Amino acid sequence: MRKSLRDLLEQTVKLLKRRGVDYADLRWVEQLHEEVVVQNMHLQHVSTSSSEGVSIRVLYKGFWGYASSSRVDAQGLKNTAEQAIEMAKAIAIGSHAKVSLRPIESVRASYKSPLEVDPFQVELQKKIDYLMWANHVLKDHDNIKTATSTLEFFQTKKLFCSTEGSLIEQQITESGGFLESTAILNGEVQKRSYPSANSPSLGQAGYEYVKALDFVGQAARLRREAVSLLRAKECPAGATTVILMPDQLILQLHESCGHPAELDRAMGMELSFAGGSFLTPDLLGSYRYGSKLVNVTADAALPLGCGSFAYDDEGVQAQRVPIIREGIFVGYLSSRETAARINRTSTGAMRAEGWNSVPIVRMTNVNLEPGIGTLQDLIRDTKKGILLATNKSWSIDDRRLNFQFGTEIGWEIANGRVGQVLKSPVYTGITPEFWGSCSGIAGKWEWQLYGVPNCGKGEPIQVMHVGHGASPARFEKIQVGHSR
Amino acid sequence: MLLGESRILTALQKAAKSSAADNTLIAAQRSSRKTLRFSGGQIHQNFQEEEITVWVKVACGGRLGVSSTCSLRHEAILQAVRSAMTIAQASSKGPIPSFHTGQTQGPAAVPETHFASTAHFTLTQAVDLIRSLDAWFLKKTVGLAGSFVFGEDEMAVAGSKGLAQYRPFTIAGLRLVPTSGKSSGFASQTVRNLSLLNTEVLAERAWEFCRLNKNPRSIPTGKYDVLLEPEAVAELLEWLSYIGFGAKQMTERTSFMAGRMGEKIMSRSVAIADDGLDPDGLVVPFDYEGTPKQRVILIDNGTASNIVYDSHYGKLQKKPSTGHALAYDEAEGPTACNLFMAPGQTPYKELLGRMGRGLWISRFHYVSGLLKTHEALMTGLTRDGTFLIKNGRVSAAVKNLRFTQSVLEAFSRIAAVSRERRMIADPGHGLSAVVAPALLIKGFSFTGQTK
Repeated sequence: MRKSLRDLLEQTVKLLKRRGVDYADLRWVEQLHEEVVVQNMHLQHVSTSSSEGVSIRVLYKGFWGYASSSRVDAQGLKNTAEQAIEMAKAIAIGSHAKVSLRPIESVRASYKSPLEVDPFQVELQKKIDYLMWANHVLKDHDNIKTATSTLEFFQTKKLFCSTEGSLIEQQITESGGFLESTAILNGEVQKRSYPSANSPSLGQAGYEYVKALDFVGQAARLRREAVSLLRAKECPAGATTVILMPDQLILQLHESCGHPAELDRAMGMELSFAGGSFLTPDLLGSYRYGSKLVNVTADAALPLGCGSFAYDDEGVQAQRVPIIREGIFVGYLSSRETAARINRTSTGAMRAEGWNSVPIVRMTNVNLEPGIGTLQDLIRDTKKGILLATNKSWSIDDRRLNFQFGTEIGWEIANGRVGQVLKSPVYTGITPEFWGSCSGIAGKWEWQLYGVPNCGKGEPIQVMHVGHGASPARFEKIQVGHSR
Repeated sequence: MLLGESRILTALQKAAKSSAADNTLIAAQRSSRKTLRFSGGQIHQNFQEEEITVWVKVACGGRLGVSSTCSLRHEAILQAVRSAMTIAQASSKGPIPSFHTGQTQGPAAVPETHFASTAHFTLTQAVDLIRSLDAWFLKKTVGLAGSFVFGEDEMAVAGSKGLAQYRPFTIAGLRLVPTSGKSSGFASQTVRNLSLLNTEVLAERAWEFCRLNKNPRSIPTGKYDVLLEPEAVAELLEWLSYIGFGAKQMTERTSFMAGRMGEKIMSRSVAIADDGLDPDGLVVPFDYEGTPKQRVILIDNGTASNIVYDSHYGKLQKKPSTGHALAYDEAEGPTACNLFMAPGQTPYKELLGRMGRGLWISRFHYVSGLLKTHEALMTGLTRDGTFLIKNGRVSAAVKNLRFTQSVLEAFSRIAAVSRERRMIADPGHGLSAVVAPALLIKGFSFTGQTK
């Protein structure tokens, strides 16, 4: 980190102290992004982008003010600081509800997410070759009309500086990508994707992460499955046993556990956009959210996790926080301000998309803890049911109760064995009833971690990278298939 | 405050002319916003942000490269040009890039897009506005959540062969969600000209939904006739655009219009167009390639008629660009984002009476159009007001419902289209909008209930 930048931020902190703020923090952020897309053996899209700026958040006489700017020099920071104070002064007029923060220990720290190979130093041609090779395998069938292979890389550098004396430097590198094959026959359109659909799965790692995804090795399976779906039977409707593979279960966790456990939602602060939460504070510690097998943890210090960091965007150290313990709702994702309102301390989940967005409560890595046994054990113990994989569509109500998910593929399970492929599966339910029906979770050897790069929340909308891990899990009496 | 045409275009033109590429296109978008979010009598988030993004697209020896930066400084843009050229040189040859970088003849007259009433609106005025709304709803003994956003945008595009486009915009939007226990209502309005923001009408509409939404009850799932408010219709139209109105979806044959051009796919009463120059929407006269926006009739009398193109997909399909290119680092392809659904003949006030029995829906939440894109099969939930209608009157509030419905089928069963329309837009974005009427639709399929 350049010394002049640190000096600039520290000088601005001194200025803000002189201006009489109760508290202030400054965040300098620089982000790099690279995306490479190959489609049907043509390089369809390559782009790089960079962005740099500073945000300043002040608590002035009990009221928040926030401003950001891409002008990173002494005058730019001074102007931004004054704008933040003006924002705070403006809302103070006629308002009585003041914010107070419990002090936290100041920190001076530096953190870099681990990586072996810096993806921004890897030659573009090498990335294109990798994608072309996978694309060639993916496209190798007459019914595959569109084969797409994508790589994405992000690098975020941050310097956080507060009036409490914290100075935290962080550098986080993420790598990922995905494959998608679209098969078409007589008007039937079916897709298969890997490792996730519609967006890349990311890991906090270097280029070694995308090599380990083994696109070329996975492409043939994907192509076969996409083609097989063209002649597959429609998923039958009815209540049945469902086994969810991790690449679907992570979206189930995201929508029906991660979002309702955000304390700002539970306090009504997102009512105007994302919605509220059925997990209200009066339920904390006693509400049965799921069966005794269900343990969900928000872990911001998980290696490879896209929601990992050393300190959140208000300087709170990364934590491993239980959200659901043996089926009981026991914890929130929270910030210093929201946690104080329920007499708790922050669980360190305050995150901003970039330098020009205000930190809000976000997911970190929200994971379903592994159980025992294997996927095969779960299948063997299932007399009749359906195995579902790879999220295709997602929808849930504004309090996070009624959900419907579609997956790219399903397989019939009969008498403990996996049978024929099923197309267009959809399942629906009510969150606590669904998790309450959990009858098995496979063990740690089948636990997989995914990085979700497109979690939307806030106004203006902020898109956040979060992580989710899960082993395959089984649920009973789940409504499958969609009525028309 | 605006940076201004001269400052932005000079920076872009200087860099474009310095570029060693065969063809260089540079677009810039500068945005400034003040956002105030409120709930429970408090403004809990208030911030101002200012950002500029500069995108560079170069063609070198038939190869394409794209890069971006967040600074207007000459050295920063040149660095982005160099990055784009490095990418182009490393790229394999694809279809020869065909974007236009010379002077373009725009429309003769473009409606006003920048208004002093919005540009000069102060933070103090915004806080006063929110406080007065809070007080108004407090008198009705309901709580209020919402957001108020206002600011300016500037968009400019310059090409190495003389292309130069610039436009300033203002934007403001108010969103109200009154709540009382578990009942809630909703109303929102987005405008370029803040003097047209009608807070009284919005407050009354949001309050009316909240008031009627007391003690919602469960009803069986199944098919119901529905009256969809313009906000609900707009959400379906946005999804139709995302999955079907662009040349990328047509090329990949995932669009519901693929292979069906010229066929009737909806009711004859449905006409949908994209028009960046219609002052009833959010006027945006050119796209990120500097191409003037064409009015494109997407659905004409229920018939699949046209799709939108940018230069890349236009070249692939041997069509001219219609002016629907997104920023160069987007891989989504050309997008129709100034949508208009044609109004009908029925006065809005007569629609409930026309329905007789059915459901009146204020808006949808979390719609997904990815279930079967070639059928436009979508799912989503109702939110902030679902009402059972009997004999043309509200008989009860209903708990939120999930629908799973092909929008092609639903739009084939339209019984009435309102004469009045509303413009629905996200003020945080400011360059896209949907103008939609209310629709009376027969036999809309509901597949799930909330608690």
